[in-house]
Amino acid sequence: MSPEDRRVLVVPCSGIGKTYGTVSREAAYEVTEDLRPGSTGLVALSLLVLGDEDARAAVRTHPAVTIDGCKLACAAKMVQESGGHVAKGIAVLDVYRRNRELKPQGIAELNEGGILHAVAEELAAIVDGLLAREEGSTHA
Amino acid sequence: MPELPGRKVGIVACSGEELAEGTVTRLAALRVLEQLRPGETVTICLPLFLAGGEGDRAFARFYPTIALDGCEKRCAGRATEQHSGKPAASVVVTDLVSEHGLGRPEGAWRLNESGRQAVVVTADRVAGLVDELLGGQWNRRSGSFAEGAPATTTDQAPQAGCACGSAIPVQTVDVDGRAVPLAALPLIFEQLHGAGKAPGVEVTRELLETVKIYNDVPPGTDEAYTVALAREYDAFCRSKVARR
Repeated sequence: MSPEDRRVLVVPCSGIGKTYGTVSREAAYEVTEDLRPGSTGLVALSLLVLGDEDARAAVRTHPAVTIDGCKLACAAKMVQESGGHVAKGIAVLDVYRRNRELKPQGIAELNEGGILHAVAEELAAIVDGLLAREEGSTHA
Repeated sequence: MPELPGRKVGIVACSGEELAEGTVTRLAALRVLEQLRPGETVTICLPLFLAGGEGDRAFARFYPTIALDGCEKRCAGRATEQHSGKPAASVVVTDLVSEHGLGRPEGAWRLNESGRQAVVVTADRVAGLVDELLGGQWNRRSGSFAEGAPATTTDQAPQAGCACGSAIPVQTVDVDGRAVPLAALPLIFEQLHGAGKAPGVEVTRELLETVKIYNDVPPGTDEAYTVALAREYDAFCRSKVARR
């Protein structure tokens, strides 16, 4: 199933120099590959930066959930600048503030027991909510 | 006294999330930044060229930059050229994989063995390019190298460098009725002031030449820039006196 066919798009930030960027990326993989593989798809932020028409069309026609690793919120901004709608944005730092015991560490490789799974579960719950809302409006 | 950022090479990875090769670019960039050339490299997140400010967009003009792409779409190279400056060098993972006869990288989340080998090969290529780029004289005005010029050195302590949140400082100046963002101007002012140079014709001339290193000053506009820089530096020095 291509990302275009899936109903919720996940757009993580490309944060490369800090731990929270890695959390953002890996949480997106955990949801799109493990937790909700059939109903989600990934969009690469670099394609939106380049203005790739397929990627822009995808975020314009599907609800997008963004995951940002810092306050600059590149993922959310790029979806909006591409004409898409951010159905829900997750800030990794906010999730960490609610789960102080789950301190993430590492950049190339994350530590075990950090915030990653909490972010992924929050993302999966958001996906479920969006899909339920979508089905509700279809059946109304 | 504040100093202008030292000589480093910029690395911009596509980080393409949907491809294993995108993960290879990210991990190879980190390997160079953290292990192979930690004191000589700096990176920035590609989206900051659009989502960030003028200081972020000055990145590839300020640092000779290596674009690191996973595939032939070359998002990092093309977007860097569109929004910041022409990369000094380019590396494409799929090309390196073919060149080295590696198997196809797979697993964007968890790389297979070929993907891990590609990380090492790619990082080595980038590190070699870093050495080559540091051997030349980067002209920040033209965004290219001057031939035969001696290399400069840096005495900064080695550390992994991320430019996120530490962009080149920019000050917007009114030049003949136009608002012009000038990269590094606050640092240049601090440097001149710290050297005890008071506003005047000679200092303004020096100021203009320094500004031209970091910014594109269009031909025929020297006079307008001179007027603007003299005014702004005078105001800067007055504000320093007022704070005492």
